Amino acid sequence: MHEMGVAQNILDIAVAAAQKEGAQKITRINMIAGELRGIVPMQLSFCFGIVAKDSIASGAYLNIEEVPVTAHCENCNSDFAVEEYQYICPKCGSTKIQLTGGTELRIKDIEIE
Amino acid sequence: MLYTYARNKTAVNIAAGGFRMKINVMQDVLQANDRIAAENKQLFKKNNNLVLNLMSSPGAGKTSLLEKTAELLAGKLRLGVIVGDIETTRDADRIAKYNIPSIQLTTGSACHLDANMVASALPHIGLDKIDVLVVENVGNLVCPAEFIVGEDYKVMILSVTEGDEKPLKYPMMFKESSLMIINKVDLLQYTNFNLEEAKANARKVHPGIDIIEVSCTKGTGLDAWIAWLTEHHKKKAGSR
Repeated sequence: MHEMGVAQNILDIAVAAAQKEGAQKITRINMIAGELRGIVPMQLSFCFGIVAKDSIASGAYLNIEEVPVTAHCENCNSDFAVEEYQYICPKCGSTKIQLTGGTELRIKDIEIE
Repeated sequence: MLYTYARNKTAVNIAAGGFRMKINVMQDVLQANDRIAAENKQLFKKNNNLVLNLMSSPGAGKTSLLEKTAELLAGKLRLGVIVGDIETTRDADRIAKYNIPSIQLTTGSACHLDANMVASALPHIGLDKIDVLVVENVGNLVCPAEFIVGEDYKVMILSVTEGDEKPLKYPMMFKESSLMIINKVDLLQYTNFNLEEAKANARKVHPGIDIIEVSCTKGTGLDAWIAWLTEHHKKKAGSR
């Protein structure tokens, strides 16, 4: 629902990074989005296309790599994938777990011309 | 052809006449929000405010809970409220009747409050005269969980008329909240809401979540909520 705001933030960060390098154009933005952030890639790409119009990122490809939810069990030290939002260790049944992935929302790098 | 241009830059493609370069960015998309939230948090710490980000779907009882809270905290802790709504000042008007500082933020169309909107209200609310500041977010079970505003805790309300499966449908909200208040328990007999099922579902997505059952209209269970507030305010004041 708030993809537009997220798209605007992506544009701001990418343009600032590109301008620092004196770039004329941004052709691609590579980002990661954890599953817990509830980002709908198609919707975000659509919103990005709108906010990027008339900027140096106009027409840039927004590559969104989705990151699955993973966790570490503090009880038995195992690492596992969290499925269906069940925050419980599949090995020992403990609920003392720390998330290790799935909450990211980060721009990794951009490609410029 | 690929070669390292500099430590954080890689030329990824050299086509005839064109030069493309990859730049390492590694920045959180919501860093602008997070930075302002951190500033808000500093201000809250300075003024010794316990700050709660109160979230729920529309009509779950956020404003009703705050009306009761204003009544029950009177003479004990000084309450302040920042209310976010898409339109109207109805909620702030309801709160203002209790003679507590309240500010209405109308977001226009935004589905959540962000740190910047909350920051804009802070100079006007008188933080030095507030012990507990509640930021009543826009009614929505999705977006508000994404944006921190500088709060100590997220608190959410689930009302029995919404259904006991909501924690599984909107896990982020329940995962992020320290406390889930189940409101409208007086209506349990008229619905197919299963209280134990709702709690079990919430604990599946957030094993450590605190849960309090209340009815704002009948006034039941509110003592547990006031105790929760008092305890967490004490904890915050003690950590200074």
